[in-house]
Amino acid sequence: MNDEPAPTRLLLVDDEASLREPLAEYLTRQGFAVSQAETAAAARSLLLQESPELVLLDIMMPGEDGLSLCRHLTETKDLPVILLTARGEATDRIVGLEIGADDYVVKPFEPRELVARIKSVLRRASRGGPPAEEDALYEFEGWRLDPVKRRLTDPKGALVSISSAEFRLLAAFLSNPRKVLDRDRLLDLVQGREAHMFDRAVDNQVSRLRRKLEEDSREPRLIQTVRGGGYVLAADVRRIAPEGR
Amino acid sequence: MRLSLWPRSLLGQMLLSVAVALLVAQGISGFLLWRSQEQRREELLMNAAAFRLVAPLDDDGPPRRGLRRGFYRIELERTPDFEITASDERHRSREERLRAILTREGFAVSDVRVVTHPIREDPHALNSLRERPRFRSSPELPTRELLLAAWQAEPDGDWMVARLPVREREPRAPSGFVLQTIVLYIVLVGGLALLLRRITRPLAALTARMERFALSRETNGPLEPAGPDDTRRLIEAHNAMEARVGALLDEKDVMLGAIGHDLKTPLAALRVRIESVEDETERERMAATIEDIARTLDDILSLARVGRPSDSPENTELAALTASVVEEFEDLQENVELGETRRIALTVRTTWLRRALRNLVANALRYGGNARVSLLQDKQQVTIRVEDDGPGIPEGEIEAMLEPFRRGEASRSRETGGAGLGLTLARAIAKQHGGSLHLENRYAADGSVAGLTAEIRLPID
Repeated sequence: MNDEPAPTRLLLVDDEASLREPLAEYLTRQGFAVSQAETAAAARSLLLQESPELVLLDIMMPGEDGLSLCRHLTETKDLPVILLTARGEATDRIVGLEIGADDYVVKPFEPRELVARIKSVLRRASRGGPPAEEDALYEFEGWRLDPVKRRLTDPKGALVSISSAEFRLLAAFLSNPRKVLDRDRLLDLVQGREAHMFDRAVDNQVSRLRRKLEEDSREPRLIQTVRGGGYVLAADVRRIAPEGR
Repeated sequence: MRLSLWPRSLLGQMLLSVAVALLVAQGISGFLLWRSQEQRREELLMNAAAFRLVAPLDDDGPPRRGLRRGFYRIELERTPDFEITASDERHRSREERLRAILTREGFAVSDVRVVTHPIREDPHALNSLRERPRFRSSPELPTRELLLAAWQAEPDGDWMVARLPVREREPRAPSGFVLQTIVLYIVLVGGLALLLRRITRPLAALTARMERFALSRETNGPLEPAGPDDTRRLIEAHNAMEARVGALLDEKDVMLGAIGHDLKTPLAALRVRIESVEDETERERMAATIEDIARTLDDILSLARVGRPSDSPENTELAALTASVVEEFEDLQENVELGETRRIALTVRTTWLRRALRNLVANALRYGGNARVSLLQDKQQVTIRVEDDGPGIPEGEIEAMLEPFRRGEASRSRETGGAGLGLTLARAIAKQHGGSLHLENRYAADGSVAGLTAEIRLPID
């Protein structure tokens, strides 16, 4: 894995010591500098003393809950936040993402996956970019992709389920319309938590994405194969302001 | 047994009963009225006959009221013998009446006879009338009926015979009575209909509300009490009950949320701790167990929540949903296959339908070893079909399989676990969408079981 000279500083906020302590230990072993807070109030005072680069936040806590602290963090400090949630229901996730969390994991999560997500969020944060622009919807041929809610709708407005890998892949195409992207470039763009994705996996993900986008996935129209190894999104993309947000 | 004309609604039944009761009452009172009128007419007729018998017409005297018309002035006949002929119709009750009147007035009565016969059978009347030029040319005249009242004062004395025209009985109902009935109907039935609507409209609203409440708990504030006090109290009681049920369900949700949180956090802690286990196979087994517990927990929580899901239904493309579930299993290197699908958009609760499908696929993999998923559509419904090539379910046990915590025969061994909630949850979710879950064995050509077919069927809205 990555050997970074100065360890990344994380703040872990969870009222359950039984989870917080082993998780802090695990993350420390993974090369992060972890400070812990038991409550939202403790987290707020710790934020003043230390300057964490990313916050891991439990949603359900006595006193001020995680969502409220998350809103504070993203609005005033512009800190990346990953939510730890007990419930796997869509609303919770969407609410979390809408109030500005960068990602979430559902308990019980795989610790390695959490690490992968931490790295992915940090990578995105370091790349920067104005958040308002990030929020804008992609529109192509009547399709719409909401990058915050990770929702894809077809020209008739029906929700089309896509996995997070497909979401990243599609987002990569949409950021580079009408440009030929070879497998390496796609891997580069898509790489996030699916760090283990390899060449064949790219082809596989592309064909899955086609299955959902194309009228006839054997004769793809939107995502076309380019001879010599690569794909191109054959559509114009517009960014439009999201409704109701 | 049930009459098709009998209305089903309260309003209809009440109105119909009232209308029928009113009809019967009006019928009875109409009959009584008709009878008393009839009696009165008889009385008058006999009075007139008696009057004519005792007060012979004086052609020179001043005309009497009611007897001015020539037709009535048939002269009194004095005859020694009054024979009843074949064409005569004798009226005994009228004779009694006439006798009573004459006796009351102080006349001696030996015998009376009252008969009717047509004018043309009566030579005396014809002669009497023909003396008058008015009637000589009238052709209708002989068709009238004539009433003959004969009175014998002394035994063996002369008979005095008075002749009166009888008006034929008119069977048609008196128009006043018909009008009265109509007015009564309008006032009573109309008024009652208005009153009943005041009662039934709030009842209908209450029924609609209860039906909606039974389906989904989505309401907008309590129902406004309306109508008479009884209905008002019913609505208030319903509101109180709704609030209580709502509070209980809310409590349940909070409790389930807390259970979920309280159990998943230690599971997460455990999941983190096993990272320090050196033996990789051991660690993976532990991870799989934790995953299993978490999934079961999710199923239990979902089943408890399925009645009132937190996410609202959404127009969803089902082919993509089906494909994405299949792909999840592909990523786990499971033996799944995506069969025929077609683009169909339907309004569903996406997360839930996905969970139902996932459970069917997991079930097929667990007991059948493989899963083939396809999406079909006909006019009324969309079918998501999951087939496996396993041993199927023994006939007769299919229904039982859908009960919570039931597991198929194969799972009695330890290696295939699972709480047996998968199918129950899938069925609950299908029902929540207005659809159904069907399980059926597939048979090979030689009659042996070729596998199990599980279908979620959703109505097209």
